[in-house]
Amino acid sequence: MTEPQQEIKAPPFDSISSLQFSPASSNLLLVSAWDSTVRLYDIAANEEKTKFDHRAAVLSTTFSDASHAYSGGLDASLRELELESEKIHALGQHDDAISSVRYSSEANAIVTGSWDRTVRFWDPRAATAQQSSHQLPERVYFMDTVGHRLVIALASRLFHIFDVRKMDTPEQTRESSLKFLTRALACMSDGQGYATASVEGRIAVEYFDPSPAIQEKKYAFKCHRQTIDDVDHVWPVNALAFHPTYNTFASGGSDTTVSIWDHKVKKRLRQYTRYNAPVAALAFSADGARLAIGASYTWDAGEEGARTAERPSLFVRELGEEVKPKGWSAG
Amino acid sequence: MAKKKNKQVLRPWCWYCEREFEDEKVLMQHQKAKHFKCGMCPRRLNTAGGLAVHIQQVHKLEPENLPRIENALPGRDGYEVEIFGMEGIPAPDVADYKRRKEIELGLTAGSITQPPAKRPKTENRPLSEEELRAQLEAHKALMGAHETPAPAPSDTNQSAVYAATPQTYVASPAPAPPVSVPPVPVIPPGAPPAFPGLPPPPGAFPGAPPFPPQLPGMPGMPPGPSPPGFTMPPGFPPPPGMMPPFPRLPGMVPLFPPPGVTPPFPLPSMTPPVIADSTPAPPSSSVTPAPVLAQPLAPPQLSLPDPSLAQTNPELKKKTVLKYSEPNFSPDEVRARHPKYYFAKDMLVSIPEAKTDAALAQDAPEVGAIAVAPEEARGKKRARAEDFL
Repeated sequence: MTEPQQEIKAPPFDSISSLQFSPASSNLLLVSAWDSTVRLYDIAANEEKTKFDHRAAVLSTTFSDASHAYSGGLDASLRELELESEKIHALGQHDDAISSVRYSSEANAIVTGSWDRTVRFWDPRAATAQQSSHQLPERVYFMDTVGHRLVIALASRLFHIFDVRKMDTPEQTRESSLKFLTRALACMSDGQGYATASVEGRIAVEYFDPSPAIQEKKYAFKCHRQTIDDVDHVWPVNALAFHPTYNTFASGGSDTTVSIWDHKVKKRLRQYTRYNAPVAALAFSADGARLAIGASYTWDAGEEGARTAERPSLFVRELGEEVKPKGWSAG
Repeated sequence: MAKKKNKQVLRPWCWYCEREFEDEKVLMQHQKAKHFKCGMCPRRLNTAGGLAVHIQQVHKLEPENLPRIENALPGRDGYEVEIFGMEGIPAPDVADYKRRKEIELGLTAGSITQPPAKRPKTENRPLSEEELRAQLEAHKALMGAHETPAPAPSDTNQSAVYAATPQTYVASPAPAPPVSVPPVPVIPPGAPPAFPGLPPPPGAFPGAPPFPPQLPGMPGMPPGPSPPGFTMPPGFPPPPGMMPPFPRLPGMVPLFPPPGVTPPFPLPSMTPPVIADSTPAPPSSSVTPAPVLAQPLAPPQLSLPDPSLAQTNPELKKKTVLKYSEPNFSPDEVRARHPKYYFAKDMLVSIPEAKTDAALAQDAPEVGAIAVAPEEARGKKRARAEDFL
């Protein structure tokens, strides 16, 4: 049996902010980091293929197709990265840092969320790339999209769910069912709902359908914590990612662990061995065969913690049966 | 992070291929492996000179037949320059590299050029009325096109303003950094914001260039935050008389503001006058960011945009150690205000790179070409340097 997990050589120099696999290949992994870079790794060769330098820390990056990626970060500009020719084009600006960059295949648009309390839609081919801007009540922390739905996690524990075809008013607005600061968000692969996590070691599973019968199914549970000498140590849950086929999900926390959960039966399927640093980002490959894990300091203890933090590291795990729900039958 | 990296200080880099390294030891290993390797035997030498002597003596090649240094950038493949790690790099190349790094990192000119540790003594005496007037005249002459002397912008800072006259004049024509939402094309409700199958013809949204075009009032204004010429080449420290506080070019970042003199505005960049004079992009009424009144080195405190939404963490039932307990700001936001990562908002407006390529092509083709080129060139160069070491 081959080693199920390999460590990627030459990880970013500073904390990893986001990870994404190419939609076309489980061999290409895009990594944005606080060292102001976006790097593209070739997993099979275990090497850095390309590096894009930025002016400031990059908070989020995404593929749109196999050869284009987009990035946004503290310098508030959205950039298009041509992965083959390695060119960078600046597409436009927010008024504050861009916290999340997503590609909506439904709208065929790049969607950016920013701490300037707007969500903007972009068409990289248009003369003026920015297509629209939508005001929100709070800073955008995280976004994820599935089908025509765009879920936006805002500061102050707010959630706005939009239909990308009708961005003038949110389809639903919700307050988080978690009582603490939102720290992660991911949409279910089957488009039924989303999961969100807070800094207080807890994950909530939510559904889009507003009917009471469906809403009754939503729940939250504790995780990423440990009782040491009768004191509960509670770590933030920094990352969530849904498996593209099995619809199970992975969670990563500042307690340096990664767990796989089956939200249908409310069971943990697997907890992997600890990493050397807080788990900052997670991503499944498009074919569901791999899970990328970015382990690096997440600033939970401020600058103080940065002094003692481990160097960032990047792992790719070959997945087996552990991500399959019990009794899964194909199709 | 085990190691503290100060962004202001450059990492060691290789003169031959301009690749960066974590430390000088690795750089030397790289140079041995990539540039000072003998092509005819497995021997690796420490310097270019060593390699030349080795090839001449061991392989009996005439000096004029020496092969060029391998893997080097054009023009840097000769033996004339004796490089050992970071030692021996010609001063103009160092200055040039630093300037490009500053642009790339979005730092203000001069911020890496002279690390604070080597701060020269600044002359810190009050200027006489005479000197001040002379400097004001010189400054006005320099400012040429924009002879709209704004009133002193802040009365809380009178004394500072007085001493900082040149800066004040540069900064004040921009009352608020126009980091505004560019006008958005109106999309009828219900219509999908989806992109049309074809890109709209240029000028489809004529009222919406994300940033105003460069005005003829600023001829020859180079793009980027730190125009060439603003960087003091190291090794040529300006004579003490030349040092700040005065005289200072407009837009030039004060390297070391003398104690007691606080620039009343963010370190001014070259652009505010341009934007103040042109009005194709009216500031949006929905978002009116307050002028950022902080220096890049001291990031402002985080503040809530809407205090009515402020959160408080609920009481925890049992004894709990919460590893992150701030209810209103994410760790990322806190981190973004750390000086190591802080990206001053006023730098947003000063960098024309923010325009879209297409908009650039329409507005000012030559500026566009320059603005985009450095990043592109860099990307390509990195690709070549990538498999070194």
